[in-house]
Amino acid sequence: MVGEYNTETPLVMHIDLNSCFASIEQQSRPKLRGRPVVIVNRATEHTGIVTASYEAKARGIEALMKLRDARKLVPDVVAIESDPAKYRFVYRKLLAIMEDYSAHVTMKSIDEGIIDFHQAPMAIRERGLEMIGYEIKQRLRDEVGVAMRCNVGISTNRFLAKTAAGLHKPDGLDVMTHENVREVLSGLKLTDLHGIAWRNEHRLNSVGIYTPVDFLDANEEVLRRMVFKSIDGTKWYKRLRGWEVDDIKTTLGRVGRQYVLERFDLTHDDILRRLHHLCESVGWRMRKQGLAARGVYVYARMANGYWHACRVATLPFFSNEAIYTVARDLFSRAPSDIKEIGIHCYELTEDTEKQLGLFAEELARERAVVGATDKINERYGERTIVAADTIDTGMYISQKIPFGSTRYL
Amino acid sequence: MNSDDTTLNEQVDVVALFRPGRTMCEPVKFRRKNGREVTITEIGLRHPRMHGAKTIHVFDVTDGGADYRLEFDAEQLVWRLTREADKW
Repeated sequence: MVGEYNTETPLVMHIDLNSCFASIEQQSRPKLRGRPVVIVNRATEHTGIVTASYEAKARGIEALMKLRDARKLVPDVVAIESDPAKYRFVYRKLLAIMEDYSAHVTMKSIDEGIIDFHQAPMAIRERGLEMIGYEIKQRLRDEVGVAMRCNVGISTNRFLAKTAAGLHKPDGLDVMTHENVREVLSGLKLTDLHGIAWRNEHRLNSVGIYTPVDFLDANEEVLRRMVFKSIDGTKWYKRLRGWEVDDIKTTLGRVGRQYVLERFDLTHDDILRRLHHLCESVGWRMRKQGLAARGVYVYARMANGYWHACRVATLPFFSNEAIYTVARDLFSRAPSDIKEIGIHCYELTEDTEKQLGLFAEELARERAVVGATDKINERYGERTIVAADTIDTGMYISQKIPFGSTRYL
Repeated sequence: MNSDDTTLNEQVDVVALFRPGRTMCEPVKFRRKNGREVTITEIGLRHPRMHGAKTIHVFDVTDGGADYRLEFDAEQLVWRLTREADKW
């Protein structure tokens, strides 16, 4: 296999919604179509841009730019606060469309997914993936709306399919095979490749690899021993030749939330109330996954620094109060001038009643209270029952878009 | 967020068609408390929003001049106008 290209018929399709959240807003609000639109998470000028529409990108606006700076560049830019329920709906629609073609669908994030056709029925495969790709684009327009567009990339592995999907934005459809891989890569920069950022680019440059074609021509041993200094070098060698090395299932390692403070002059008690709110949110998410944790990690970001603290307990815990008790204790050593706070729970295990042990009665009571509270919140809405000190923190800390993970969608 | 959005909570009378299609339920026009009738020219998106176990169907619509948000409470069978945006 080493040295050879994968010459099989391309059976992996990558689908990527274009400027996802901005496109969804332009679909739902027709007056926004054709206008520079940006999506932000917070109604302030200091907030960062989550997504920009193609019209905004064409005028120089990029994701992560401050809204204040974007307004200087494009005074008529329209800023819309994110609407997670709407994006979740479109995500589910896209997932349902994709699942009509294969049982092997993997969503990589809220706006992109992969269909593996290797085990799809012959009747579907015989139609050809290009035709199916165009059909999915049309179904997205018919079933979600006329303003929705997506990029489709088809190849023999996930990496090349994603690369193909990025070639002609917006609304492109491209196929990469062993026959055109060299030609396609010759039009790209190293950092256009998913997984190659400045650090890896620097490593590649250090051995004389300056373009994706140099990368393709590099010796497997050079990549393994000199560039990546690990098995990653071999993986890159195979990846570029169309062999699948990225079909890996990941397990949930931690559940967390962060919050940029709405004002930077809050007292320690005010910040603690917001931290308590984050603990409630993390506890709720963890229990919905049927998990308990043993570790709590808290952090604070200041104007010129970062502080963190963590603790691992002997027995797993699951309640909001247990999480907050540890977090509050850790946070008592936090510095001042805080701009952002965060917490995550780690050392996750399946939450089973077998873990009761010595404190069985006390834990059983806690479990009953938490279970009853969760049931009420499920019936009447999240945060119907909350701790008294977080009763009004919801006006600042609202639910945001879970980028990068599809576990909570 | 957009300074031209007006947030409302106004119960409205709605004429709607329930039929198979992209949104299944299509509000056609609505009458506001002040008597003004708005005829919908396009439904941008219909999506459900869960409030606990209760489903609210959210319709982002336009009459060609302004964008509106109508919310249909599937438990109470009540329509509300919750947003209007008419300047961009």
